Amino acid sequence: MATITASQIRRPFTIWVIALGVIFLVGVYAMIQVLIHGLQLTGLSDLVPWGLWITLDLSAIALGAGAFTFSAAVYLFRIKRLEIMARPAVFIGFLGYTSAMLALAMDIGRPDRFWHPLVYWNVHSVLWEITWCVVLYSMVLAMEVLPLLLDSHYFDRWPNLRKMGHKLHRLTPVLAALGMGLSLLHQSSLGATYGVLSGRAIWFKPSLPVMFIISAVAGGMSLTLLATLVTSKLQHKELIKPDVKREIARIVGYTSLAYLYIKLWDWAATSYYSQAPGAASALERLQATTPYTTTFWGVEILLSGLVPALILLYQPLRRNDRALIAALGLIVLGVVVNRWNVTLSGLVAPPDWSPGVLGNVVAASYLPTTIEVLVGLGIVAYALLGFTLGARFLPIFKPRDTAHAKGSD
Amino acid sequence: MAEEKTETTQKQPLVPLSRSDFLKIAGATAGAVVLTELVITGPLSAEAIQGIGAESHPHQGSAEYQWHMLIDLDKCIGCNYCVRACQAVNDVPEESMRWNIVFPERLEDGAEFYMNRPCQHCQDAPCVRVCPVGATWVRPDGLVAMDYNRCIGCRYCEVACPYDVRRFNWKVSDAPNPYHPVWGNAEVERRTRGVVEKCTFCVHRIDRGLEVGLKPGVDRAATPACVAICPVNARVFGDVRDPDSPVSKALREKNTFRLREDWGTQPKVHYVRPVKG
Repeated sequence: MATITASQIRRPFTIWVIALGVIFLVGVYAMIQVLIHGLQLTGLSDLVPWGLWITLDLSAIALGAGAFTFSAAVYLFRIKRLEIMARPAVFIGFLGYTSAMLALAMDIGRPDRFWHPLVYWNVHSVLWEITWCVVLYSMVLAMEVLPLLLDSHYFDRWPNLRKMGHKLHRLTPVLAALGMGLSLLHQSSLGATYGVLSGRAIWFKPSLPVMFIISAVAGGMSLTLLATLVTSKLQHKELIKPDVKREIARIVGYTSLAYLYIKLWDWAATSYYSQAPGAASALERLQATTPYTTTFWGVEILLSGLVPALILLYQPLRRNDRALIAALGLIVLGVVVNRWNVTLSGLVAPPDWSPGVLGNVVAASYLPTTIEVLVGLGIVAYALLGFTLGARFLPIFKPRDTAHAKGSD
Repeated sequence: MAEEKTETTQKQPLVPLSRSDFLKIAGATAGAVVLTELVITGPLSAEAIQGIGAESHPHQGSAEYQWHMLIDLDKCIGCNYCVRACQAVNDVPEESMRWNIVFPERLEDGAEFYMNRPCQHCQDAPCVRVCPVGATWVRPDGLVAMDYNRCIGCRYCEVACPYDVRRFNWKVSDAPNPYHPVWGNAEVERRTRGVVEKCTFCVHRIDRGLEVGLKPGVDRAATPACVAICPVNARVFGDVRDPDSPVSKALREKNTFRLREDWGTQPKVHYVRPVKG
């Protein structure tokens, strides 16, 4: 390794990597604490047993959906001009899914039994189906990422390994088909996780799986394009042609509109044109005790829905890179806020079961503890660090055929 | 490849299918048939939920019996004996982990009473449906059982249960049990950190009792601790398949309801409504 000089340390890139490394290490320390002392270190309770880490897990998987979307577009539907997006999408997807698995491993009470769903089957559980899909899809992602690693100049010395990578790459259309099938299943099932619970009126609806998959596609494409644009700015290189960039922006815009349309009808059918007793009272309690109304209408609908859709679909705004980056960032934020809102809304306003008027819990509360936040930040730092190093040292933004010929700079 | 194709075509001029095409179609058809079988009558069907875990657990109880409980809210005096006996027998040292809770309540018409809530042992249990590893299941005798060795601690069952009966072991439970030995002694092992637990209707008493010829609901040693200790007989237990069991008699005599029947969970705990005054 080359020695690090003082001027190198002052470079923003080095500072950024060191900062992420420190956050990641603090996160690892917090994870070890949780493994030693258990989930009593979290702010979770029997009334609110899922919180920050489940939100992180759901968000990471949703934002990793760019991988299956772009892989399918390029390798199944043969949209050649999007090919430049396939590699960053798969790389980000891999980071997203590994982050999600890390978050899940922290969240379950017995991480040593993580393999149980693979051996003990309950085919009636959406969570069982999700576990299988996520495990299988992570393998698909690993196989899609491997050729990319082997194409980096570190493997110049091992041409045979690289040849294997190219053979693996020839499987890409098969992997893309598999990936799309698995993703269409589990991305929606994550919404169904809540949607199938008949005892919780605020969740119990068939629209949740549909909204989860559409928001995942919009969020996944947004994050991939966002990461590409930001890298492009920082490396002062044009990584993606302007027309391709704008085309993706338009597709994301239309996907956001489709999502908003379904979300609007979901709200209208369950909360405006009808008054399902359980859902209505739960909403009232949420309104009284949490900022749910603000985050739902203000963030999910307006700030992360209508505003970015307008920017992405109105040409003069779409052509402005700053506006474009802001719009994509807002959509990514919206996905995270939505996953938090969905998870917490059903738990904070629990169902009424007592025949009396006093016993029913008006509203439960949940606030993540410092250690929970540190673990969460650690996982986010892992993903950001992975992407930063990948963008710098791996050929993720190079067209496949030229990647190893020139070598990475 | 090309040669193979022409050969097949020549042999079967009327059906211009290549071998690989034929295999694809045959495979897809077979797959579709198998999938349809699985979903309609096989292990993926809605009916099969009753059998989750049934084959792999030793103590299943027998479908000859159907264990139900009746709680007379008009009789309950709120003494909390049932709560303490439950904590002692099932070795639940912490108040926050109580399987069986009793608290002061009021009806809309002003009638004051003590609400009781053990596990409802739903026949169509939301918690059973969602468990990704089949660690909880409905036994043939109707009890919702738990396998602590299989549970991964994901807490989806806690999220799914609308009656808030499930408790997660957030930490190692090593506190001394304040109810030993006055209210009873531990009859089951304490659970480890990281798994979910809940009221079992004292399944160990039922299974052991039947083995030695006792009648659950009648003989105290074979009856859930909360029922056996109640000083005013507010709780009644037994087999609803036996018309002479205490619970069958009580169900015939009294007007009962179950909690939130609109959820379709079919609980096996029945309640008698308290009367004002």
